[in-house]
Amino acid sequence: MLCVRECPAWCIHLDSHTEEVSEPGARRPKKVNVLDTFDIDYSLCMYCGICVDVCPFDALEWDQHRALIGTTRESLYLNKEELTSE
Amino acid sequence: MNTPLVMEVIDAEDWQARVKQMDSDGFTFFDFLTVIERESDRRNSATQAPVLEVVVRVTQPDFGKSQALSTHVSVIDPRLASITEIYPGADWHERECAEMFGIEFAGNRAQALLRHENAGAPPLRKSVVLSTRVIVEWPGAAEPEIQDDGRKVGNASRRRQRPPGVPESWLQT
Amino acid sequence: MSSRPEVQVEIMTAGLACCTLEVEAAVAGGHLVAITGDSEQAPQVIVIAGTVTDALVPSVLDRIEKYPLAQIMSFGACATSGGPYWDSPPVSKGIDQFADVAVYVAGCPPRPEALVAALVELAGEKIL
Repeated sequence: MLCVRECPAWCIHLDSHTEEVSEPGARRPKKVNVLDTFDIDYSLCMYCGICVDVCPFDALEWDQHRALIGTTRESLYLNKEELTSE
Repeated sequence: MNTPLVMEVIDAEDWQARVKQMDSDGFTFFDFLTVIERESDRRNSATQAPVLEVVVRVTQPDFGKSQALSTHVSVIDPRLASITEIYPGADWHERECAEMFGIEFAGNRAQALLRHENAGAPPLRKSVVLSTRVIVEWPGAAEPEIQDDGRKVGNASRRRQRPPGVPESWLQT
Repeated sequence: MSSRPEVQVEIMTAGLACCTLEVEAAVAGGHLVAITGDSEQAPQVIVIAGTVTDALVPSVLDRIEKYPLAQIMSFGACATSGGPYWDSPPVSKGIDQFADVAVYVAGCPPRPEALVAALVELAGEKIL
């Protein structure tokens, strides 16, 4: 959530939930956060890179090679699958 | 080569005279003039009324020494004497501060600089709500432990996160 | 870059803010090669590059209406949605509120290559 909260343009949206995971030997099941959706609205994004900087897991990185163009504004709104595709 | 900047805080009525004195003292180069809205007067923090602090910085022509001067004006009907008679370069700065903070600089020709005449309240005042930041739902409010229907699961007892840079008072309006 | 289709196009840039420097960079960097500098021909593409303030909307629309056959390119986040100024009262929230946009280019600013890619996209769509 750090990327979403730090984004000055408010252009990152994510949805998540918690799941309980039972581990052998553990007294209680562990709660883990599970990511459902992750979208970046590139029509708003100012490419400041704060999201990349603040991510404690280095889950985000810069892509040097992509020129994002589209014929609709909605086509600049990328979901998790579109963001992770080569 | 940087010498420490001395900031002198004076009364608003002494503004023009003190600036003139600085010019006579050899600080003939006008650097900048700006405004900061503060929660309270820096010299008298007991009165918790917001004030506009006007700051001017001037230097010697060889940039050897510099001086800064500050004064406070009320947010209600803020006005201050113009220093453009002393430093013509202050004109742009005063006009900008007039537009952005709503200060009237007496003696300045006070022409609009960038904003339209009917552009509304001076936008850099803290009382002016940036409505987009209030109307648009902040995506950072989402929590994994708070479900879409608002129901909390687990120990999601933490205080709700606030969008950074958006004052609490805006969200209540 | 020989695999890239060659596109010859008349463009007019409405350079309103820093994005327009990338259009100039595309020329300076050889991504765009100017054939004529002072053409009287009507533009096929109008590149809206930069922040469109509400005060500027009439001037931009005036250009757009003058060339009804030109395709509009929204170049960069500001022209597309307001970008970093999405919360600013005097900034319009996207030129597509006032005119039909043929192609949007993401970036703040987009790279010069993205400008060329968008022109190629327009050519590929047979819009040009």
